[in-house]
Amino acid sequence: MSRLEAKKPSVCESKPLTRERLRTTLSVLKGIVASCYGPSGRLKQLHNGAGGHVCTTSQSSALLRGLSVTHPVLKILTTSMQNHVSCFSDCGLFMAILCCNLIEYVEGIDLAPTTVIELNKQLLSLCTSYLKSEACACRIPVDFSSTQILLCLVRSILTSKPACMLTGKEVDHISALVLRAFLLTIPEKAEDHIILGKSIIVPLKGQRVIDSTVLPGMLIETSEVQLMRTLPIKKSSALKVALFCVSLSGDFSDTGEGTLAVSYGVSLESAVLDQLLNLGRQLVWDHIDLVICQKVIHPSLKQFLSTHHVIAIDRVGVALMEPLSKMTVAVSSLLLCNRNDTAWDELKLTCQTALHVLQLTIKEPFVFLGGGCTETHLAAYVRHKTLNEPGSILKDVGYTQTELHLIAEAFCSALESLAGSLEHDGGEILTDMKYGHFWSVQSHSPPVANWPDLLSRCGCGLHSNQEELSWSFLRSTHHPFVPQNSLPHEAASSANNLTLDCFTAKLSGLQVAVETANLILDLAYVIEDKN
Amino acid sequence: MVMACRVINNRRHVGLQQLLSFAETGRTFLGPVKSSKFIIDEESHESVLISSPVRLLESLDLTSAVGQLLNEAVQAHNDTYGTGTNTLLFFVGAWSSAVEECLHLGVPIPVIVSVMSEGLNSCSEEVVSLQVPIHNLFDHVDNTNTFSGFETPSVNLCPFLQIPSDTGLIQKDHELKDVSQSMTIYSLSGRPVKSCKLFRLQAKVEANKDASQTLQTLINSRLADTSCRKSILTHSRHFNSTDNNHWVSKPDGLEQPSAATSKTYSCNDLVELAVGLSHGDHSSMKLVEAAVRLQYQNACMQQGSCSLPFMFDVSRIFTCCLPGLPETSTCVCPGYITLASISSTALIKELKDQPVRVVLVQGDLTENYRHLGFNKSTNIKTVLESMKVNQDSTEELWAHHVLQILTQFNVHLVLARGNVSDHLNEKCVYSKRLVIGSVNGSVMQAFAEATGAVQVAYITQVNEDCVGNGVYVTFWRSVSVDVVDKKNRMAILLKTEGINLVTAVFTGPVTAQMQTKEDRFWTCASRLYYALKEQKVFIGGGAVEFLCLSHLQIIEEQSLKKGNQAYSGWLHNSSSWLASSLALYRPTVLKCLANGWHKYLSTLMYNTASYSSEFEASTFIQHHLRNAIDSGSPSSYILSEYSELNSGVFNSGISNKLEQIPRVYDIVTPKIEAWRRALDLVLLVLQTDSEIVTGHGHMQINSKESEGFLFL
Repeated sequence: MSRLEAKKPSVCESKPLTRERLRTTLSVLKGIVASCYGPSGRLKQLHNGAGGHVCTTSQSSALLRGLSVTHPVLKILTTSMQNHVSCFSDCGLFMAILCCNLIEYVEGIDLAPTTVIELNKQLLSLCTSYLKSEACACRIPVDFSSTQILLCLVRSILTSKPACMLTGKEVDHISALVLRAFLLTIPEKAEDHIILGKSIIVPLKGQRVIDSTVLPGMLIETSEVQLMRTLPIKKSSALKVALFCVSLSGDFSDTGEGTLAVSYGVSLESAVLDQLLNLGRQLVWDHIDLVICQKVIHPSLKQFLSTHHVIAIDRVGVALMEPLSKMTVAVSSLLLCNRNDTAWDELKLTCQTALHVLQLTIKEPFVFLGGGCTETHLAAYVRHKTLNEPGSILKDVGYTQTELHLIAEAFCSALESLAGSLEHDGGEILTDMKYGHFWSVQSHSPPVANWPDLLSRCGCGLHSNQEELSWSFLRSTHHPFVPQNSLPHEAASSANNLTLDCFTAKLSGLQVAVETANLILDLAYVIEDKN
Repeated sequence: MVMACRVINNRRHVGLQQLLSFAETGRTFLGPVKSSKFIIDEESHESVLISSPVRLLESLDLTSAVGQLLNEAVQAHNDTYGTGTNTLLFFVGAWSSAVEECLHLGVPIPVIVSVMSEGLNSCSEEVVSLQVPIHNLFDHVDNTNTFSGFETPSVNLCPFLQIPSDTGLIQKDHELKDVSQSMTIYSLSGRPVKSCKLFRLQAKVEANKDASQTLQTLINSRLADTSCRKSILTHSRHFNSTDNNHWVSKPDGLEQPSAATSKTYSCNDLVELAVGLSHGDHSSMKLVEAAVRLQYQNACMQQGSCSLPFMFDVSRIFTCCLPGLPETSTCVCPGYITLASISSTALIKELKDQPVRVVLVQGDLTENYRHLGFNKSTNIKTVLESMKVNQDSTEELWAHHVLQILTQFNVHLVLARGNVSDHLNEKCVYSKRLVIGSVNGSVMQAFAEATGAVQVAYITQVNEDCVGNGVYVTFWRSVSVDVVDKKNRMAILLKTEGINLVTAVFTGPVTAQMQTKEDRFWTCASRLYYALKEQKVFIGGGAVEFLCLSHLQIIEEQSLKKGNQAYSGWLHNSSSWLASSLALYRPTVLKCLANGWHKYLSTLMYNTASYSSEFEASTFIQHHLRNAIDSGSPSSYILSEYSELNSGVFNSGISNKLEQIPRVYDIVTPKIEAWRRALDLVLLVLQTDSEIVTGHGHMQINSKESEGFLFL
């Protein structure tokens, strides 16, 4: 007899955003992501507290794997972050911090959520259309005839993850390797539409970073015993390959439910082996030189193949199957070394991000200025536009200029605070009144400082203290100004050591952050099923 | 699931303190005089005797995140290099406290990270000048059994540097073996030197077979390649190289020896090298040296004329522990020594003195064994259709079948990597066949190479091509009762002509010491392996650390004078304010980094009992440090004062006569990598500000600990 239990009533919480519990957890989450941000970000040790693997990281994708949040509102945030990272790999922290900031900065504003949401949308479209326009002063077109910009882009990604534990020389080495690995995935014969190949990262743990290398083609691990048997390969022409994704180990296919009765004296195992050997004969007959199997090949079949001078490699794993089937396209192997496991894991993830970012950059050949400059510049642009041309923003919606100014201020502060999250050591952030770029200075600098003496370069590295600029603290009130276009593009693309960000990933991060913040701000009730 | 998060760097960095306390436990392992430790389990009252960081960490509770990272770093280093974990553990501690000191002085974390990291880089480049090339070690391996290498001045055979005009060169000439493509190489002084064998062994550019490349460009490229040519060495009794004329000052103030005036010291004697790398553990190193000689002789016999450069192969050394036997039985033998049940005594007597045929089985030798990746179906049932079927069990049938195959191919020896069915074993003994299970993979490989056998997964795969020939089975010692252990097993020896396998047998009355003996043997083997592989060693006995110490002090003084110009590339993020504040903090951070080496040296000297206190040792170091820096070139100071410094650090029990003190050597890459790993770990922990406990682990955070945890 089954027992029925009365269902627990669902719990309904109104105006979740005003609750203390959410505010606290949201600020803890923001604390975690913001403290990870940028090249001097702090690392997190993720572990299960019971002797499991320890992951030391400051990357959103690794953090997400370990983060398990209970509050439904936080879940919305982490899910958005997860989706963004799985599509673009980069700018996950950017998106999460901005989203938290947007929610935080509208908190004290006494406006209906719909107003806030609608105005946020207007500001977002103002931003995206500017960032996508020719007039945008914080992006640089990528010149594919030189490696300069692409190397800077990869470098910026590598240096923004301190848990990789790379020295300056090692950063240069790995950046060059990542770029080479990527270039090797571009097919030589370009037709109407290019299908990019794959780059496989092969672990070589425990070795020096500087021993890492890139090989065209695929590297397959095989046992020494097997290798001795197959080498030397005498054939000079290309090998004929048979690729199996099914197991050739000789076990039976699933017999389903119930029991299978077999007469005494009948050996299913040898029957299957006979079939495998038939297959082997066919392979020999078809002049196959190399048999590769994702799973296991039966030792007897292997022995048969090897006596017929067919090379058999098994257990290559599912990860290699797709690139193996694409061997006719372009494939490269990046042999990655690092001294310890935790740093290797971080380096691998970072290189994957960099490879993905390079792919995205081929599709949309632009890069954003990094180091906080895009954020501060964009904030300056939004301030200027909302003050001087409010009509163009408000033309389709019926809100007042005051409402717009309030929300625009919150929006810009969220962007500027995001840029400020790059600073973790008590420095202060300045912005110049010409380009609106990001500058950092040691705290407690003299109040009437001679700024050029204290500042060297802006965050992205494009401007130096040599130019006659005027500066102001980022958080202080200052008159909005028209942020000007930077150097001509030719000069920018030839500049060395720029800090750059992925165009596609950052643009999407901005959109996802605003949309997620809007979604959360729109929540009137949280209804939880407690059963 | 709930997640907990704790900030760990509030006032004092918890992680760094944990590292420090773990590292402190390994302090007494440093140096040639090691104090062992007993680790006692309070619950089971079991205890182990340990004297290495690897074994120490194996026995400690390392469930904390930092403890695990430390263990991971030590294990990874040990797996890669097999030596250097003492150095690693010590520097983890020394640099943890150095970093804490920096934090205390208010240095921003990114500045500590970049200055320490680049400071270590700079040291690693600097110590290249203390490298000693290893030359033609095996030219006279058969006739050198004494320390003769110490009495005669070393002969310079390096063609790229000036050749001292002594008769040694002529003597050496006839020793150069006939090499297929003989060629003449001009040394920088213009004197033709016939030494292409040496060139071949040494040249890094040998892979470049470009015919158009002239020898001169090869030579030039070698010189441009700064490493290992930079210096030199050493015997202060024979010449004094403090003379500053030999050094040209580069604009940045770092000295560089001028190539034309450099003299080369090289190590070309296996005994000298082995003694130098033994670090006080002569008994283990003697075994290793014997193993190398056996491998070398075997290689010569196999190849006829030793035309290929000989490689010491650690994977072809096997160890066998026989506790209970007297210490004197410890030895190294060619072939494979293993334990077999005493019940097969008669069988072995029978097999003795005749070559037997062998089969090598990769897996278990049991009826129900299936190869990896084969999934057995559970729902298949065999149905008996009539009662007249043979009543034998399937195992019986299988064993019978196996025996049939062995008989068919006349096989009397089976080596299996996995377990062996007892039933089969009995049957085999009965039919005069020996089956040995749990055989190591590289032993199998050695037998496969020497006998022509092909490893199989199943006995049913065996055909004539898989069977190997010519294995001899005997008792290890002529009197078999000598070597019976507590489990009624005796040591037997399997040998075949030309097998590239050496077994080191460890014996001794104290069972607790067995593990330590084996560990020490492997440490020595790894050291010699890396020395031979890299063809270079460091001048040891603290010389390298001393050079780092003085180098850091020099760049510290320079950066005080010069300010920000130099080393501006030391921070990744050069646009941050941190880059401009580097100059302010650099001297402080470099000093703290240098303190690590100072601590290492003083602990080393104190541990070797040459000094009654670490303070006294520290004073000694300080004195020489000042002299070294004042001399203008610390590396030449070290080279000239080496004997004295050496006797100060490493004089324990080797020899009291200064002239007879053999040189101490260190291996190159494992040492530098140990520093790097130690610093990486410390800096990784330093940059960590919180730990996030995921999954159900937080349940174990009890109420007392949970203070400071935030739950999400």
